Amino acid sequence: MSLHSNPAVRLESVSKTYPVPFAAVRRRFGLKTRTPVQALSDVSFEIRPGEIFGLIGRNGAGKTTLTKVLATLVQPTSGRVTVCGCDSVRQAGAVRARIGLATAEERSFYWRLTIEQNLLFFARLYGLGTRAGRARIDELLATLHLSELRRRRFGELSTGNKQRVAIARAMLNAPPVLILDEPTRSLDPFAAARLRGVVASLAAGANAATILLTSHNLAEIEELCSRVAIISHGRICAVDTPDHLRQRLAQQERVQLVCRGVGRADVLDQLAGWTAGLDVEELGAAVAVRFSRTVDDDLLDRVSRTLLRAGGRLVSCDTERGTLFDVLETFERDAAEPPALTPAVAR
Amino acid sequence: MMARARALSGRIQAFVVRDFQLAMSYRIEFLLRILGVVLVTTTLFFMSQIFAGNLNTPYGQWRNPFVAWLLGLPFLNYFMVGFSSLANAIRAEQTQGTLEGVMMTPINLPTLIVSSSAWEFVQATFQSFLYLFCGWLLFDVHYQGSFVLAVAFLLLTTLVLASFGILSASFAIVFKRGDPFAIVIGTSSALFSGAFFPTEMLSKTFGRAFGVVAALIPTTYGIDGIRRVLIQGQTFDQTRQPFTALVLYLAVLLPCSLWVFSRAVRRAKREGSLIQY
Repeated sequence: MSLHSNPAVRLESVSKTYPVPFAAVRRRFGLKTRTPVQALSDVSFEIRPGEIFGLIGRNGAGKTTLTKVLATLVQPTSGRVTVCGCDSVRQAGAVRARIGLATAEERSFYWRLTIEQNLLFFARLYGLGTRAGRARIDELLATLHLSELRRRRFGELSTGNKQRVAIARAMLNAPPVLILDEPTRSLDPFAAARLRGVVASLAAGANAATILLTSHNLAEIEELCSRVAIISHGRICAVDTPDHLRQRLAQQERVQLVCRGVGRADVLDQLAGWTAGLDVEELGAAVAVRFSRTVDDDLLDRVSRTLLRAGGRLVSCDTERGTLFDVLETFERDAAEPPALTPAVAR
Repeated sequence: MMARARALSGRIQAFVVRDFQLAMSYRIEFLLRILGVVLVTTTLFFMSQIFAGNLNTPYGQWRNPFVAWLLGLPFLNYFMVGFSSLANAIRAEQTQGTLEGVMMTPINLPTLIVSSSAWEFVQATFQSFLYLFCGWLLFDVHYQGSFVLAVAFLLLTTLVLASFGILSASFAIVFKRGDPFAIVIGTSSALFSGAFFPTEMLSKTFGRAFGVVAALIPTTYGIDGIRRVLIQGQTFDQTRQPFTALVLYLAVLLPCSLWVFSRAVRRAKREGSLIQY
């Protein structure tokens, strides 16, 4: 992994084990103790200034712990985290001034206060005066399409709007680094698309923010992120661009041929035993033939010729390369050992 | 230095405004509290009338029990606010889930300590002076001595109790519930501090050990000091003994409690349990 000379965020061999409270005392008295939970193990990567960096992994993989370590809310057991050159343990206050965290946690607001009152309170904690705070809040509410709801109590908002308020709070002091933890989780498709636009715009321009984005929506990660880290069982399995990750692992593709003039039974008869995962389905007067193949092999050519020889007429041919989901699935499967560059199961 | 003070006052103001807005969202409770003060003051007045004309007491502060209670009970309440407000604020932020949001801002620990309990002090100050005002307005109570000295006792005792409060909050952060300081300070203050009856009666009735317990509780010095000033009209020289005791308590407890609190937060961050309750 190449080291950027001046990264916005740098993690060096960060590990986090949640200790069992009073384990030593319990052991001394012969009582059973739980096994400490290792949430992060030797995590190292960098995020470049102005980059949108994705972090993906299944539930419990360590994403939340990692974001909390970055936000100084949890201390690493070992290793070092720096944000804009500030150490997250020794200069925690300076790190918090440079980082904004938007979590999907609705309870982190005062439900009986309005959006404006909530944001003004946090703006003051960030050191903004009342006038500057109000101006910033106006700007953010307009950006996030919340202006009309500013006097609505937080508890009365929909989940999606609560999420947008969380993002507004994270951006109050215009931090150079933003951590967005599943920002579109509860948004409708239109609001999610708008928010993706906002996120993309934040990382563009002269004062571009560096963004760490965690999401289970892999299409969103592919759309927004220039690089992605895959985390599994607390370890970083890979850090690369979405394209490279797909190329590294998804050497297979799924092919769908639609042909007319030949029946399903004939096709099955002709192709039986040719390839694994063969699926033949009647689509009205046509037949859809689906199969997996290794990219650039001659299977597509041979299947097409066979169908044509049987009197069929090819109507369409679609291929689908492996997605980020396939990549993630492969790493999850191989989490116990380093991932081999074997073909992912194509979808 | 000035910039730091301005930042601190801005943050305290932020917490006070927030808590005021939250209190205003429960308007009836706010009005009922004021009514409560008037009712309690009236009740204390009529209780004191049981002894009217029959009180021949050696305890100088208790010749008029109504005034002794009027100064003892609200200020005991004030000191308890000093003790419990921080732990309450931390617990409230933990249970609401807002502690993480607050701790994400660049606010430092001492600022969080002062700010999160500021509103409870504002309320307790208002309520205590409302008691004194009701006594003066409705029942013709006249206070003597220096109000400045009385306020100095009030502040000093509150800071001592706040130090216990910081220890209590540290306990809440690490162990979440079952705070031993609340049991020791909270429940024993009512019995041993002299808020309801003279502390000397304890040692006369149960022996000297009980008198020693009363002498170990800082609240005793606070209430005694305020009564000496406002009932007996004593000067600073005459109240030097309780004043010095409170200063010593503060000198030892405040740095200790701040150290323990920072350790507690560090431990909670290590365990990842900051927002659990």
